[in-house]
Amino acid sequence: MSSLGYLAAVNVVIWIGLFAYLWRLDRRVSEKERSS
Amino acid sequence: MKFLKLLLLPYMAAVIGAAFLWPEPAKGFIGESSRIVFFHVPCAWASTLAFIVAAAYSAAFLWKGKPWYDDIAASAVRIGLMFGVLTLVTGSLFAKVMWGSWWNWDPRESSYLLLVFLYSAYLFLRAAVEDPERRPRIAAAYALFAAVLMPFLTFVAPRVTASLHPQTVINPQGKILMDTPTRAVFFGAMAGFSGLFFWLLSIDARAARLRRTGAGVPAD
Repeated sequence: MSSLGYLAAVNVVIWIGLFAYLWRLDRRVSEKERSS
Repeated sequence: MKFLKLLLLPYMAAVIGAAFLWPEPAKGFIGESSRIVFFHVPCAWASTLAFIVAAAYSAAFLWKGKPWYDDIAASAVRIGLMFGVLTLVTGSLFAKVMWGSWWNWDPRESSYLLLVFLYSAYLFLRAAVEDPERRPRIAAAYALFAAVLMPFLTFVAPRVTASLHPQTVINPQGKILMDTPTRAVFFGAMAGFSGLFFWLLSIDARAARLRRTGAGVPAD
């Protein structure tokens, strides 16, 4: 894999991790809103 | 709404992949450094968008007095600052490669740093006013004052004197100086970062409302 391909892959993995974190946070805020 | 959030996952993954792999590096730039335009400018745009939203909701708060509008304005400034700092960091990386130094006191760098300080002061101001009745009103007035200066620091001050900063989008020629693949990925990234900003704003403002109403917030 070229170095640019490697960088793209690393950045996509970082984005997937960030997305999963935000998704979980969003869901937890929604749950809290429903219970309050 | 849930669909749009889900769509952001493949959309941004595609934009990131394309940013590294699709357009050729721009001529006149060292190595692959021009690719930073796909992250640096969208960060700057997202922070500008955030400060516009903060001004709009601050004005709405002063008019209607709804605390929810203050929650949104404060969240917009927080997120705008985050994107602002990312703009400075990515700009500094580019400066090191292209101009040989992390920081050059270029007019664009300096005016953007001032903008970050200007909006940092908003958060200090909020923290300094203890009265919960006065805090939103003072913060809203300050956000409107900052919004008057923001276009000057973002668009005018950097162009008053000669600058090293590339002008590929807003320039005296009045043309976007990019080839078609670069333009496609660039505007794709601008849209993606806008979507990411509104999602972050939704999460942070709702968490702020939970804090304000005493309902508490999730642990992380």
